Amino acid sequence: MELLIILTSLFTAALIGISVRHRRIIETASVVASAVSFAASVAVALKVASSGSYAPYSFFYVDALGAIVMLIIACVGFAVTVYSVAYLRQETAKKIIGFTRVKQYFVLLDLFIAAMFLAVTASSPIVTWISVEATTLSTAFLISFYNKPSAMEAAWKYLIINSIGLLLGFFGTLLYFIPLNPLRGSGLISWQQLAANTAHFDPLIARIAFVFVLIGYGTKAGLVPMHTWLPDAHSKAPAPVSALLSGVLLNVAFVVILRFKGITDAVVGRSFSQGFLILFGVISMLVAALIILTQANYKRLLAYSSIENMGILSLGFGFGGLGAFAAILHMIYHALVKSTLFLSAGTVLLKYSSTKIARVTGVLATLTVTGILFLTGFFFITGTPPFGIFLTKIFILSAGIKTHPAAVLVALFSMAVLFIGFFKHVTAMFFGKKPEGIKAGEGSVWLVVPPLALIAVAFYLSFHIPGFLFTLINGAVSHE
Amino acid sequence: MNIWVLRLLLEIVFLTVVFLHLVKKNYGAVLAYTIQSLAIVAVLFNSFLETGGMSLLLIALLALIVKVILAPLFFVRMIKKNGLRFSVSTYLNIPLTLIVIAAITAIAHSQKLAPLAEIVPANHALLSLALSAMLLSLVLIINRKGALSQIIGILSFENSIIAFAVFAGLEQSPSLQAGILFDLFVWLVIATVFMAMIYKHFGSLDVTSMKHLKD
Repeated sequence: MELLIILTSLFTAALIGISVRHRRIIETASVVASAVSFAASVAVALKVASSGSYAPYSFFYVDALGAIVMLIIACVGFAVTVYSVAYLRQETAKKIIGFTRVKQYFVLLDLFIAAMFLAVTASSPIVTWISVEATTLSTAFLISFYNKPSAMEAAWKYLIINSIGLLLGFFGTLLYFIPLNPLRGSGLISWQQLAANTAHFDPLIARIAFVFVLIGYGTKAGLVPMHTWLPDAHSKAPAPVSALLSGVLLNVAFVVILRFKGITDAVVGRSFSQGFLILFGVISMLVAALIILTQANYKRLLAYSSIENMGILSLGFGFGGLGAFAAILHMIYHALVKSTLFLSAGTVLLKYSSTKIARVTGVLATLTVTGILFLTGFFFITGTPPFGIFLTKIFILSAGIKTHPAAVLVALFSMAVLFIGFFKHVTAMFFGKKPEGIKAGEGSVWLVVPPLALIAVAFYLSFHIPGFLFTLINGAVSHE
Repeated sequence: MNIWVLRLLLEIVFLTVVFLHLVKKNYGAVLAYTIQSLAIVAVLFNSFLETGGMSLLLIALLALIVKVILAPLFFVRMIKKNGLRFSVSTYLNIPLTLIVIAAITAIAHSQKLAPLAEIVPANHALLSLALSAMLLSLVLIINRKGALSQIIGILSFENSIIAFAVFAGLEQSPSLQAGILFDLFVWLVIATVFMAMIYKHFGSLDVTSMKHLKD
């Protein structure tokens, strides 16, 4: 029932956005839908924590990992929707966008969030694929939202690269159906049926299928070298959308890879997928760290940081065991903190009207609360103690130090380089003299509350993991 | 349907991909895609003839509407509206393209990809041909500089995957196929709108003219 409530509320909000001409009603509908989704997601997560899985209808199936990602979508989705109301009002006041754009924004945002929910809760891998493809379609216009040539270019790149990636993923998905005959039985083959039929799966085909899925969904997850669309798309989209793209969508794609990894491991053993995940993880971390050193745009900087963090996840799941446990925790922290950083970056952009690092100085003097939030987010995301990511990085590296010392060393080097690069840019932006002609102050309390709430949750989770979440993480690791 | 007819249909799919590599006019590319889609619809129609399931007939009809009627209609309107008779150039010249086509076809028929072609041993040759069409479609997307050619390349890639799935016995249930077709239709609409916007912003469908992401 909860899953139907989530989808119905989001689709209703999208329909209201299409049909109503009152801005306040459109905004309220989206905020209410995301709040309802949040409450329903918590209810689903509690059910999964107590019974291991939740499948109210044959169309849906939520396991522990699905429940965790549902919570991430709901939490970040709610914060982003609330922030979007204040953000778009400021943009309208500055005459950057008009009412039609606002309507379009909320409709697409609701559809985007609904598609992500469907991707992680669908029982069929094909429905999951359709939903992930739907996230591409709903966000393409959000990336080209400002209708500038650069935004258009980023959106085109996003559409083409992700479409190719997802078609490769589709082909890989079809190969997993070989042990079963899709037209026999109900036709809606579920993840559980795929997992139950691994004994009849040819190991060679399983390997090929996993490579296709990893490249296909890895494109969506932003793993290097399939990442080229990500910095452009994440930097050109409106800041709240960037928060969802970086903080949530990458995880949704990663979850699909993990589900296929579980099936592949059952056929060919862990070492095959492990090798690929470690390789992609290390390359992603290294490339992102080196590029961050020379970044001139703070939204692209955050996008590259997301690539690095997807690399860390890949490494953690590749190492397995404690590494996988830490990777799931890392996924949660990253989603919350990266969203905080993108939302804060949005407030900085509203104030300075530029995403160029060179044109932004004295943020702490101009936007004191946002500046503190961004700085806290920076220390959090780069793994500075006592924040949670410090521990997850340590756990992931320690999980692989004995078996893959070279990968751990490269990862450690990348983390150090990334910290230096990120720190250099952050100090340039946040300290120094406030520019003349820029008035101090955030402008709206609702530009501060959502990122503050997100980082507060991340901070709380650094020191205490609630029992139900701990059960979910353990459940996810045991199935991994 | 006779196996020879099915083989002919798949050969049409393969040959249209080769033609898409060589064609210079946008109308020619749209025509090639339409013929290719018609061949795929015929293959899907064969599934209906074999099983007698009315839902499969509906899927074939839906595919006909989306791929053979609507997609070409969108493209032709786009070409007429903007006077885009000629496609923009490729990264590789024609002789090099032909060499790449030959090499990829050889790879698709080689032992390296034999496990995929052996999924249904009776359809080995057909699956190899479908794999060739898939790989050639991928190269088409990479090699072409025109946005329309890239879109047609992606659609051709999708057609090739469908052909592979049918001959490998991996067809999905009619409801899922309908979902995939709906997804494709939405994708098509969005891609066409984007092409129009690209033309408006850059005065060309040549993707190499997009150089605004330098910061």
